[in-house]
Amino acid sequence: MKYHLPSSMDEYEELIGRMGAASYVILAGGTDLIAGFDGGRPVPEHLIDIKAIPRMNGILEHREHVEIGALTTIEALRRDEHIRNHFPALAQSCEDFGSVQIRHRATLGGNIVNASPAADTLPALFIYNAMVKLRGIQGERVVPVQDFILNPGEVDLQRGEILYSIQLPRSECRSLFHKLGLRQAMAVAVVNYAIGYTIRDHHFTHLTVAAGAVAPRVVYLKTFMDAVADERIALDRAIALVDNDIAPIDDIRATARYRRTVLKNLLLNTLTELLADDRKR
Amino acid sequence: MIIPENWDYFDLTVRVNGQDYRERIPTHLRLLDFLRDVLHLTGTKEVCGEGECGACTVLLDGMTVNSCLVLAVEAHDSEVVTIEGVAEDEDIAALQQVYIDHHAIQCGYCTPGFVLSAAALLRDEPEADPESIRKGLVGNFCRCTGYQKIVQAISDFRK
Ligand SMILES: Cc1cc2nc3c(=O)[nH]c(=O)nc-3n(C[C@H](O)[C@H](O)[C@H](O)COP(=O)(O)OP(=O)(O)OC[C@H]3O[C@@H](n4cnc5c(N)ncnc54)[C@H](O)[C@@H]3O)c2cc1C
Ligand code: FES
Ligand code: FES
Repeated sequence: MKYHLPSSMDEYEELIGRMGAASYVILAGGTDLIAGFDGGRPVPEHLIDIKAIPRMNGILEHREHVEIGALTTIEALRRDEHIRNHFPALAQSCEDFGSVQIRHRATLGGNIVNASPAADTLPALFIYNAMVKLRGIQGERVVPVQDFILNPGEVDLQRGEILYSIQLPRSECRSLFHKLGLRQAMAVAVVNYAIGYTIRDHHFTHLTVAAGAVAPRVVYLKTFMDAVADERIALDRAIALVDNDIAPIDDIRATARYRRTVLKNLLLNTLTELLADDRKR
Repeated sequence: MIIPENWDYFDLTVRVNGQDYRERIPTHLRLLDFLRDVLHLTGTKEVCGEGECGACTVLLDGMTVNSCLVLAVEAHDSEVVTIEGVAEDEDIAALQQVYIDHHAIQCGYCTPGFVLSAAALLRDEPEADPESIRKGLVGNFCRCTGYQKIVQAISDFRK
């Protein structure tokens, strides 16, 4: 396995150009990648460590959006004042993420590209309409995160491209994230979800819900959201519509039936509480 | 360790516990194996090999990491501190003593990782309460003590 550590985007592109058709793997924090390198898994022909590429680590505040470098760690996001205040669902998704040791290495870009159906940052990125900036030898493109994620472990990344940064458009709506695991810490989500909302006159005038671990990819609960925002039906009746939006499976952590029930119950609780809090004001 | 067919090497320079090393190592070598098998610093333990248990915790440029999930090449030009290194530090030696006083050790396999995580936690959050101590140590598993004594030892040290 050849190890490469390009120190700029130019050097990275030159390296990819020189490599021809050889197979390679990109390394960020390594928390998904490295396990098994001591013999459990075949190692790649070329390993390209992108951690020395400048300007890929950190958070830039622009007027219209916030730009997060793909190498920004989960721990940095969790601690960032601006993210906590303006994108709380994202900060919360980093709160019970793995352990301290994992959060020190794990990057936001790695969490996205790994494309686990249970990835904790994805529901928040979905409700914020995040855009991912991809850079490669063919130039640059920016695509909505929900189009970037294709299947479990599969993303729309062309050969030579890397995920460079994540853009979060600024928005006025409020938001939160919730995760249910089999234990509180160090657990893959049984279900997780993020909610973006605006309440006016004790009603949701805007509601976006994205949920993870209930389908092959993170999904918007579209039929449910539309019904609630239209005020066609009351929350406790609308909640049944969630069943149309998800396709969970049985696995070692939970059955599909449990996932359906628990997501609906938790979500109904959360939304009911939000409305009750609003009435108290 | 299984040697893959496509193996390659890298000339690593790294500072471990204040001492500089230059070693030619295989690129796929994990930092954990570098410490244990190349430098013979066997205080760093391996249990799960997949980031779950924290027995392999070391400080990489001051931050706790699972050395089973970091390649040795990623520590190039960096500074690593292992349990052997902190034993020299007076404060941390005192932390180890509190561990002993509280019987926070049984088989001891988890202890090096716990001591490093606790030392880093107290450095960043000197006022950590038992709740924060528990949160800060979620990445370290102990199958013997039941955690109570570990949290007590660290809380006591803080006082
Ligand atoms: C013990 C443990 C606990 C965990 N807990 C959680 C948890 O609570 N929640 C959760 O969601 N995940 C969790 N994870 C999974 C993992 O930590 C995250 O998915 C993490 O964000 C991956 O980031 P990384 O930088 O370590 O990725 P890496 O391992 O470096 O890479 C992951 C994949 O993405 C690719 N890649 C990475 N960055 C880029 C980029 N910029 N451009 C192109 N490709 C890229 C790599 O080639 C690889 O295929 C856990 C993992 C472990 C081992
Ligand atoms: S051996 Fe590294 S975390 Fe368990
Ligand atoms: S003392 Fe045995 S695992 Fe902790």
